Amino acid sequence: MTGLFYNLIEMIIKRRKVYKNLSISIGGLIFFTTLLLFVTILPHVSGFSTKVLYSRIFILAVYGMSYDILRGYTGFINLGHAIFFGSGAYIVGIFLTHFGNNLTVLALAILTVLIYSSLAALIMGKIVFKGGGVIAAAMVTMALGEIVRNVAERWREVTMGADGLPFRVPDMFRDRIMIYYYAFLFLIIMTLALRQFILSPTGRVLLAIRENEQRAIFLGFDTKKYKMIALQVAGLSAGLAGAMFALLNRFANTDLLTVQQTLNALLMTLVGGTGTLYGAIVGSAFISLTQDTLLDLRAVHPIFDRWLLFFGSIYVLVVLFMPSGFVGLYNSKMAKLQVRLVQRKK
Amino acid sequence: MEPLLKIEKLVSHIGLFTILHDVNIEINKGEAVVILGRNGVGKTTLLKAIMGLVKSKSGTLEFENKNIIERPTYEIARKGIGYVPEDYGVFDLLSVEENIKIAISKKTTSIEDKIAYIFDLFPDLKIAYKRSASTLSGGQRQMLSISKVLVNENKLMLVDEPSKGLAPIIVERLARALREISKTTTVLLVEQNFALACAVGSRYYIIDEGRTVKNGKVQDLVKDSNLQKKYLGVT
Amino acid sequence: MDIFLMLLINGLAEGALIFLMASGLSIILGLMGVVNFSHGTLFLWGGYLFVWAYTNSNSFILGIASAVIGTFILGALLEVLFVRKTYGKVTAQILITLGLMIVFTDLVRLIWGATPLVVARPDFLAGAWRFGGAVIVHYRIFLIAVGITVAIGIQLLLTKTKIGMIIRAGVQRSDMVEALGINIKIYFTLVFTGGAALAGLGGALFAPLVGGISSGAGMSNQVLAFIVVVIGGMGSFIGSAIGSVFLGLMGALIAWYVPQLAIVANVTLMAIVLTFKPSGLFGLAVKK
Repeated sequence: MTGLFYNLIEMIIKRRKVYKNLSISIGGLIFFTTLLLFVTILPHVSGFSTKVLYSRIFILAVYGMSYDILRGYTGFINLGHAIFFGSGAYIVGIFLTHFGNNLTVLALAILTVLIYSSLAALIMGKIVFKGGGVIAAAMVTMALGEIVRNVAERWREVTMGADGLPFRVPDMFRDRIMIYYYAFLFLIIMTLALRQFILSPTGRVLLAIRENEQRAIFLGFDTKKYKMIALQVAGLSAGLAGAMFALLNRFANTDLLTVQQTLNALLMTLVGGTGTLYGAIVGSAFISLTQDTLLDLRAVHPIFDRWLLFFGSIYVLVVLFMPSGFVGLYNSKMAKLQVRLVQRKK
Repeated sequence: MEPLLKIEKLVSHIGLFTILHDVNIEINKGEAVVILGRNGVGKTTLLKAIMGLVKSKSGTLEFENKNIIERPTYEIARKGIGYVPEDYGVFDLLSVEENIKIAISKKTTSIEDKIAYIFDLFPDLKIAYKRSASTLSGGQRQMLSISKVLVNENKLMLVDEPSKGLAPIIVERLARALREISKTTTVLLVEQNFALACAVGSRYYIIDEGRTVKNGKVQDLVKDSNLQKKYLGVT
Repeated sequence: MDIFLMLLINGLAEGALIFLMASGLSIILGLMGVVNFSHGTLFLWGGYLFVWAYTNSNSFILGIASAVIGTFILGALLEVLFVRKTYGKVTAQILITLGLMIVFTDLVRLIWGATPLVVARPDFLAGAWRFGGAVIVHYRIFLIAVGITVAIGIQLLLTKTKIGMIIRAGVQRSDMVEALGINIKIYFTLVFTGGAALAGLGGALFAPLVGGISSGAGMSNQVLAFIVVVIGGMGSFIGSAIGSVFLGLMGALIAWYVPQLAIVANVTLMAIVLTFKPSGLFGLAVKK
C-alpha cells in the first residue's frame, strides 16, 4: 500500500511541472496586456469617477492581499483586520488636519502608521496566538476590532466619530490622474514586496503552517514566531493601504474600522481566490466593479440602495458554491487541461 | 443459508487515502469471527466502514441481505449492529447508568433482565452504577463499552481491540465475557492479542495492506506457526 | 452599601441578558462544533420583532412571544439552509455565518429603517425602589428572575431528560451517539433553534431595558457573548453562566467608577484568561 502512495506522489509532481509552465505562459500574456492597458490608455480616456474607481481597486487590492497573507498563507482568519486599515486612514487624516497640510507632515504620518500597525499587530498577536484554535482567534479578533471602532467613535474630539473626518491633502495628491498613477505604483510595489515575502524562506514556512501546523511544530519551527511575523507584514501592508485610501478619498470615518470593512478584505480573497495573492487583485476588481454597477442601478430601483444586502448575499453564495474563488477556478481548469494534454500524449 | 453480514470487494477511504482495497468477508448468524493482522492494515477502518463512520467507494456491504453501504450511521445501528470502538466510546460527562440508558432503543424489551445480565457479566459496573463514567478504570470502561451494545437486542456486535492497554487479568475476564456473549450474539472481533482472538473466535480472516488475504478455522491457524509468523509477526 | 446593592443588581441584570445569548452559543459550539457569527442577528431580530409586536398590540406577552417564535423560525431556516451545509468545515462556517449576519442586519434596516426604534417598559415593570442613594429598577429584577429561571430550566433539561443526556453525550462524541442509533442531526437542529430562540428572548428583553433597539445592537451584544464564551470555556454551560455573571458585574462596576475603561476592560479580561487558560475557565476540549 505504501508503494501505491509513492506512485501517487510521483504522478502529482510530474504533472505539476507541465502545468506550471503552461499556466505561466497564458497567465503571463494576460497579465502584460492588462498592465499595458492600465498604465497607458485608461487614465487618459476615462472620466473622473472611473479614475477614482480604479484607484480604489488598486488600493483595496493591497488591503486584500494583506488579508491573504493571513488567511491564505498562514491559515488564520482575522476578523479585526480593519483595525490596521481604518487606523492607517485616520492617522493620515488626523495628522494632516492638526499638524498642517504638507508633505513633511504626511511623511511623519506614514511613519506613525507603520509604528502603530506594528504595535497593534504585536498586541493582537500576543493575545490571539496563545491558543484556542481558529474559532477563538476569530472571536477574539472580532472583539478587538469592535473595541477599536468603539474607541474611535467615542473619541469625537479627534476622530469626529461616525460623522467622519474630512481633510485636505498635499497638492501632489489632488490631481486625479496623478493619484491614479500613485495608486497603481503602490499596487505594483506592494505586490512585488509581498510576493518576495511569500517566496522567501519565511514565507515557505508560513505555507507549511497553513497546510499542517502540527507537523510544522514537529519539524522544529516556532510557529508562533512565524505567525507574528506574518501578522506584522499583513498589518503594515493594511495600514499603508489605509493611508493611501485616506489620500484618495480625503475622508476617514468609523466605517473603515467596522467588521464589514474586514469582510471586504475577506470577500476579496474569497471571490478572487485565497492563498494566491493575485486572487485579491481579481477580487478587488470584481467587488468594486459590482458595487459600482449596483450603485448605478439605484436610479432604476431603490432596492439597489441596500449594498450590504447584496454584499452579504454574494458572500454567502460564493462560500457555498465557489469557495476557491476565481483564481481557484482558473487553477482547476488549467489542471484539467493539463490532464487532457498529458493523456493525449499517451 | 444467507450470511448475516456479507462483504465483497470493499474499497473504503478516509479523505484522500484509500485504506481498504479489496475486503471479502462473510459472517453467519451465531458465529464468532476474528479479524487479525498487523498494525495499520485497516482492521479498525473495516469496522468503521461497516458502521458507516468511514465511506466506502465501491463493493458490496450487506447486512441481512440489505445494502448498507451508503446508509447513515444511525440507520445502520438501528438495524441491530452494535459497535465497541477502540477508544471505548464511553461518555465521560454521563454516569454509568446514563451511559447504559442512552444506548437503550425503543425496540428494547425486558430492560431489567438485560441490566441484570450486564451486572452478572460485569459486577464492577453494578458498584459504579451511579458514578460518573470518568471515574472508571480502563478495564471498567471497556466493560461499559461492551454493555452498551448488550443492552439492545443487537444481532451483530463489532468489537475493536478490546484488550488494548489492559492488564492480562482483565483481558482474561474479557475473554470469558466475550465467549459468554458469543453464545447469544454474533460477534466480529478485531484483535491483535492472538491468545484472546483464538479464545473467542471460531473462524478468522487475516487482513494485510487493506486486503483480506487468508481465512479459515481458528483451530487450524493455531497449529500453523508459519502462517502466524508471515501475517501476524507472531513467533 | 446601597450603591453596592444597586451595582450588584445592575451587573446581574446585564449578566442575565448576556447569558441568554452566551448559553445558546456555547452549547451550539460544544455540541455541533458550530461557531455561529450570526447569533447576534437573532438577538437583533428578537428585539425588533418584540418592539414591532408590542407597539402594535400593547401586550408585553405577545411581544415576547412574537420575538421568541420568530427567532425560533429564523434559526431553523438558517440551520437547514446554510449551517447544515458546513458541518465540520470551520472556515466555511465562520464565513457563512458572518455573511448571514450582514444580510440579516441590513434586512432589519430595510424593513424598519435605519433610525433606532423606541420602546418603553411595560407599566407593571416600570417602577423602581429607592434605598438611600441607590435606585433598584424593577425591570432589572425581572431580568435577573428570567435569567435564573432559564438557567435552572436548561440545567434541568440537560440533567434530567433523555434529550439532555443525548446533548451532553453528543458534546463529547457525536459519532458515538450516532453509532447508538440516534440521529444526532435532529438534535443539532433542535439545539440550534433553541439557542436562536434564547437569543431572540434576550433581544426582546433588551429593548425595554435600554429604551429601544437599533441595528448595531446585534453586533455589540454578540461581541460580549463571544467574550463570555471564550472566558467561560467553549461548550460549557456552567462556564457561560459564570462568565456572564462575571462580565455583567465587572461591567457594572467599571461603568460606575471608570466609564471610559468599560470597553477595554472586557478585552483585557479575555486576554488574561486566554493567557493563563486558553481553553477557558471551564473549557472542555472541543473535539471537532
